[in-house]
Amino acid sequence: MAKTHVRNNIRTLRFQHGEMTQQALAEKVGVTRQTIVAIEKEKYSPSLEAAFKIAAVFGEPLDAVFSYEPGSR
Amino acid sequence: MTFQEKSAWGSLLALGLVSYWYFPAAFAAAGNNGAAADLIAISIGCVVALVIIEIVYHVIIASRGGGAKDERDVFINIKAERVAGFVLGIGLFTLVGRIIAIEAIEAITPVETMGALTIAVWILFVLTVAEISKLASQVWYYRAGA
Repeated sequence: MAKTHVRNNIRTLRFQHGEMTQQALAEKVGVTRQTIVAIEKEKYSPSLEAAFKIAAVFGEPLDAVFSYEPGSR
Repeated sequence: MTFQEKSAWGSLLALGLVSYWYFPAAFAAAGNNGAAADLIAISIGCVVALVIIEIVYHVIIASRGGGAKDERDVFINIKAERVAGFVLGIGLFTLVGRIIAIEAIEAITPVETMGALTIAVWILFVLTVAEISKLASQVWYYRAGA
């Protein structure tokens, strides 16, 4: 399945936050681990609410975690 | 694999297996004039079998945790419903077209028209194919990482 146009730094941010696991992040955000995997691989664009929650977990503003790149694949 | 994905897999296989057995028997019973009782018996048997399989399977996977839907599950469900709606529409239009065509030909030259029971089984067949399409789409979207 094609990637979305929403890019993210979740993998890097997880690494910077003590190698936080995908499962730990998923539990904090309130989604399944598979959803975090899909977001991280840029195959699924999270809802605005989930995106804000992910950014809040890392204590970063939204645009430090997610960016939009129209036309990129 | 999430609970929702396991659920889709199980329902797909259960519905596929029951349908594989049900529809040949149902079409045969419907084509046999006056066999409404046979058709009802076959239908009730298949519904009961499907319900039992689904309950047992879902109790087993629920005992291993999970169950709550998240936003991606809802998103995948909406996309799969759209596929099912498309299949249902095509199937019903095809069935209606076939019924009208047979009736039109029958006005010109004698042909065997579809009885009410056969039409009922065809409608059920289309509904089942649409549901299988939905479940197969869900599985595909989960596997593809949507």
